[in-house]
Amino acid sequence: MFTRKRVTGFILSLVFVLLLGYWVFSNIRGAFLSLAEDRQLQTVAAVTTSFPEDDVEAWLTRTGPQRSAYLIAFVPSLPAPGEPIRATGDEALLALCDRSYAESEFARGFDNVAYEEVYRAKGEWTAGKVSGSLVFAPVLTSGEGGALLLLFDQAGERSFLQLLHVLSAVALLLFTLVLWQILFSRDPITGFAIVGLFLMTLTFVAYPLFEALRLSFVQEGRFSLEIWRSILSSRNYREALFGSLTLGFWTATTSTAVGFLFAFVCSRTNVRFKTFIATMGTLPVISPPFSLTLSVILLFGNNGLITRFLSSLGVSDFSIYGLPGLVAVQTMGMFPIAFLTLSGVLEAIDSTFEEAALNLSASRWETFSSVTLPLALPGILSAWLLVFTNSLADFANPLILSGNFRVLSLESYLEVTGMNRLGHGAALSILLLLPTLTAFLVQRFWVSRRSFVTVTGKPSGRITELTTPAARRVLTTLIAAIILLLLMLYGTIIAGCFVKNWGIDYSFSLENIGEALSRARDALVDTVTLAGIATPIAGFLAMIAALLIVRKKFAGKRLLEALLMTPFALPGTLVGISFILAFNRPPLILVGTAAIIVINYVVRELPVGIEGGIASLRQIDPAIEEAATDLGADSATVFRTIVLPLIRPAFISSLSYTFVRSMTAVSAVIFLISARWYHLTVLIYNFSENLRFGLASVLSTVLIFIVFGVFGLMRLMVRRNENLAKSITHGA
Amino acid sequence: MSTPNKVSKVSKSVRLENIVKIFQDPQSGQKVTAVDNVSFELLPGELVTLLGPSGCGKTTVLRMLSGFEQPSSGRILIGGTDVTQVPANKRDTAMVFQSYGLFPHMNVFDNVAYGLKLRKLPHAEVEEKVLRFLDMVGLKDLAKRPPSRLSGGQQQRVALARSLIVEPSVLLLDEPLSNLDALLREQMRVEIRRLQKSLGITAMYVTHDRVEAMSLSDRIIVMQSGRIIQIGTPSEIYRNPVNPFVAGFVGKAAFFSCTVRAIGERCAVEVKGQTFELPRWASGLAPGASAVVMARPESLLLGKPGTGIEDGTVTTNVYLGSSVESWVSTELGDILVQIDNPDVKKVWAEGERVSLTFDPDLAKVLSPEDEPA
Repeated sequence: MFTRKRVTGFILSLVFVLLLGYWVFSNIRGAFLSLAEDRQLQTVAAVTTSFPEDDVEAWLTRTGPQRSAYLIAFVPSLPAPGEPIRATGDEALLALCDRSYAESEFARGFDNVAYEEVYRAKGEWTAGKVSGSLVFAPVLTSGEGGALLLLFDQAGERSFLQLLHVLSAVALLLFTLVLWQILFSRDPITGFAIVGLFLMTLTFVAYPLFEALRLSFVQEGRFSLEIWRSILSSRNYREALFGSLTLGFWTATTSTAVGFLFAFVCSRTNVRFKTFIATMGTLPVISPPFSLTLSVILLFGNNGLITRFLSSLGVSDFSIYGLPGLVAVQTMGMFPIAFLTLSGVLEAIDSTFEEAALNLSASRWETFSSVTLPLALPGILSAWLLVFTNSLADFANPLILSGNFRVLSLESYLEVTGMNRLGHGAALSILLLLPTLTAFLVQRFWVSRRSFVTVTGKPSGRITELTTPAARRVLTTLIAAIILLLLMLYGTIIAGCFVKNWGIDYSFSLENIGEALSRARDALVDTVTLAGIATPIAGFLAMIAALLIVRKKFAGKRLLEALLMTPFALPGTLVGISFILAFNRPPLILVGTAAIIVINYVVRELPVGIEGGIASLRQIDPAIEEAATDLGADSATVFRTIVLPLIRPAFISSLSYTFVRSMTAVSAVIFLISARWYHLTVLIYNFSENLRFGLASVLSTVLIFIVFGVFGLMRLMVRRNENLAKSITHGA
Repeated sequence: MSTPNKVSKVSKSVRLENIVKIFQDPQSGQKVTAVDNVSFELLPGELVTLLGPSGCGKTTVLRMLSGFEQPSSGRILIGGTDVTQVPANKRDTAMVFQSYGLFPHMNVFDNVAYGLKLRKLPHAEVEEKVLRFLDMVGLKDLAKRPPSRLSGGQQQRVALARSLIVEPSVLLLDEPLSNLDALLREQMRVEIRRLQKSLGITAMYVTHDRVEAMSLSDRIIVMQSGRIIQIGTPSEIYRNPVNPFVAGFVGKAAFFSCTVRAIGERCAVEVKGQTFELPRWASGLAPGASAVVMARPESLLLGKPGTGIEDGTVTTNVYLGSSVESWVSTELGDILVQIDNPDVKKVWAEGERVSLTFDPDLAKVLSPEDEPA
């Protein structure tokens, strides 16, 4: 590998590129600097010709301060070398003169002026806040002569040169990495993939997060704890933190209860319509944000159908805005998370345990409370923590429903968009990250390890009826009530499309549909386009990353895995804020482009795809890929012809997941949209804020149909692959 | 099954020079030497088996040969060319995996054709060649089946055809028969040997099954704890093992402690007061050293109690037609004695007291330091 020939080749081409790069770099630099110098000299010429015959003071104040490009001072009589300078003009410049009159550049400057030459002093000079080049110019019009001192601000030049440095360094680094891979790697394709993923995560995960953290510690250009002090001492923000935690606690608790109810009925009883129950228990998780919220407003809002009905009955102090309403809506939207987690757990608990208990003449209740429940406990805790994290990060529901109740995700949004205090917004979302990340890590590394389920082996496929008929009736009634409520909520959105003006005029109308579709056409096209671009990118990247993590050995694998997975635990508001912080200035200006939205989708939805890819790759015998390599396929060919077809179900799930999530994104994307690139969910929000509920209903319905359609399609495609999945796990 | 046409390519030699492989435990960071300074050579067209208990490094050697692992130091030469740095996909080897590694999403035909398609051969040529090789392994009729609907033996044949069709310089087989039942294993053993011989391909076979190694190989390399213990033909290894480990690993053997008395034309040893002169002995033995006599079941003799060197009781007789296997329980443990031509020789009844001795012409003196496995 490291033969002398290759090492010399590497060093020689590196030296060559360094020299070439330096030549290009110094040419650009030189050309730019001489251009800047020319401009300065032109300015000097213009200034000296405009020098007045009298009232120099007034002229100085006229030319100097309001022109921020340079500072100016007038020296009426040229001093002898080393003598103090008597001058009038800008005070900072005079201070500079007092400080450095003894320096040789000054002597040289006045020397040149004496010969009526313009002189540009060497080096950089600083006066007050301005630093740049100092120019000595002779005053030609005045009879007795004199000198003008001009200090040009070169901040623009400096930042350009800085950018030039950064870009050259990045180009050189990339070249070195590519050259290294080509010359020294046995598997350059894998090497490029690893380097590429590292660059991507460092640029789009680590860098924005670092910027957000940095900004929360910086005030007026220097390190300061001011933002954190103001946040932690403010009663409002403490209230918001407490509010987020309270909301998370209640939502997690009720969602887990409802999720357990659904999961228990589906896996431990013999009720009918289980498929329907399971579907209803899954749908809300892919519903667009604002859709359930919207229908809750339509029904229970200040002007809602049910609110009106209640007030006609004399109940007047009913309000959905605030904690109880939020808990209810979040539960409706998030109990599927608990349901999916818990049904996996309950299905994996072998019924023979319960049969054993029943056989030992335990009653059904005793069996449930002494066998089923303890076995499911880690799962229950896990579900609770997952919902808790989701509730904390939730942004869409509080945006519409919070009323006077404060939560952190919303506060950080208001800081950024309402008060334009990016630092405060960043700090608040970092504050939100703490409980989220804690819950996430506890769930991941503690609860999931304590799970008993994996020990029990494969489910037997039999179900032991654990409920008495009476208990079953209670359970089914509860479930029926929840499903009815859900159906009512979805029904309300659809009904909202056909009502002229909800809350005022309930007559049938198709006007809203026409208006909504024409006003939202651009946003709809944008939303679908952006999601459509992000979907294949995220899908392929997820599978490639999964392959690298499962199959390849390389330095920094754990770091790469952590970087790739981090966005999963980040609240959307934090991602959004950190993106606008990091990408609204050089070297990467992306704010306002479609790219920033696509990148945001990809980075945020990648972790779930990677997890899916990892899980399905672990089921595949590595010998299958090795056999292909052995027959002469390189890494890319193995990926294309073997890995991708084998993990197709995971690939398709990852694609549809990314698409659905991108279509229904709101918390991060609301910071990143621009006039050119808009998102449908934000438009739905705007319409419902403006009480145009009809328009919002139409768009929600459209979004629901698109999302459910894609989801259904994915289910069909994956099911067709089940045969394949089985044969893979059986080893041949 | 048709007789295979001889693969036109000239088969190549393989040489490993001072190969060392050190693995690092990803958790503890501890370094483990899996292969310790291994050197050997395969002659063109030869089938050599790496034999050893699991964990002895034999599979690692094979994976380094195929290019899946990179040796920590040492050189690998195929046909005289240094391929140590050549990645697996560019190396002229083909491997048959223990789990076959068939592509589950392709049918039998596409599995076998995979390597040819990568080489961008014309379509007609691919088809002709695949069918010829499928015919060779007797699977022409199953070309359209997915691998999941094949029996274990059939899957094995597909894997074999898939490797052979790319005409590799070296065929590598990693315990290819371990997933088959006993009868199929015997069949496939014959099959592999037939294909390998008729194609004249150089092959390296890895197994922990001594019967497989004995019946297939031109030569056997016995490995233990990452080191080569002995290289030789099957009969050399069986008759003339270098130490008790090899003796015990490649076949049944009884071991009797002894003291070396003299070494000249033959090696004189004293076992329980009796002196024997054996024609074969391990190097490094000197008069006065304690040693062991290794005797195979067929070189053990039974007699009346007190006549031999160790007394015991016959516990079980297994009648095999051409021979009888008698298990004798002694203070040294249960010892297997093979009595050939039982119709002529005396077979002691179960429960009878007997005395054991050995035929010195067929036994060997070994240094006792390595305990038999």
